[in-house]
Amino acid sequence: MKYLAFVMVLALTACNSVPIKQKFPEAIPELKEKCPDLKQIEGNSVAITDLLKSVVTNYNMYYECGLKNDGWNKWYIEQRKIYESVK
Amino acid sequence: MSQMLWIISLIPDMFWTLLLGAGVLAIVASYLLGKIPFVQQYKIPLRVGGVVAVLIGVYFYGVIANEAKWQARIKELEEKVAVAEAKSTETNTVIKTEVVEKVKVVKERAKTQIEYIDRVVKGDTVTITKDMSETERAGFKKKQEELERAIKMCPVPQIVIEEINKAAAGVKQ
Repeated sequence: MKYLAFVMVLALTACNSVPIKQKFPEAIPELKEKCPDLKQIEGNSVAITDLLKSVVTNYNMYYECGLKNDGWNKWYIEQRKIYESVK
Repeated sequence: MSQMLWIISLIPDMFWTLLLGAGVLAIVASYLLGKIPFVQQYKIPLRVGGVVAVLIGVYFYGVIANEAKWQARIKELEEKVAVAEAKSTETNTVIKTEVVEKVKVVKERAKTQIEYIDRVVKGDTVTITKDMSETERAGFKKKQEELERAIKMCPVPQIVIEEINKAAAGVKQ
């Protein structure tokens, strides 16, 4: 029995593991940028056009941030697909 | 153990074949030549040595085969990782270009719209109305006058500004 155990341990010494590690890719720096704070209206006497300009600016800031968020989602889905293809 | 295997790996594969062959020959010889009186006294050591040589030979045959299998797997994975890394870099470039281009369009659109508002407010409407028909120009003029009246007569109430600012501030973390 002890000879059998010795032979089994000896046989196990021949086992190896594959020394390859796959790195998850670095994210795109543009996507890591924080979304800016929305523009506030300043002053006490504000014309309706200043209000309008502020609204336009904020809407566009939202779309800009939304694009980055969509980019993140797309990046994650695509990179995960690629990462999982290596097996 | 891996260092020991590495040292052993320096021994050419042919050695293990020879060892296995010698082991088998030694076992066979221990049976066949055992009948000769002079050789008979070496029968047992020859047989034991043969068995040990066969065991070691078979073991290292296994090691060599296993190593070859893993080396093939490593090569296969290395190729896959290289392909994946190239694909990943390419995907990054595509997404980056896409996002940067779209953000540029959004920023450009915001700038154009703010400039348009400023022109209308200042009355600098020549570039805006230059391609309009008479009817469109009259309609635009009417809207411009309406805006001028609103600017003069309807200042935005303070509470509206405060509420808009409150909404714009969001929830700070």
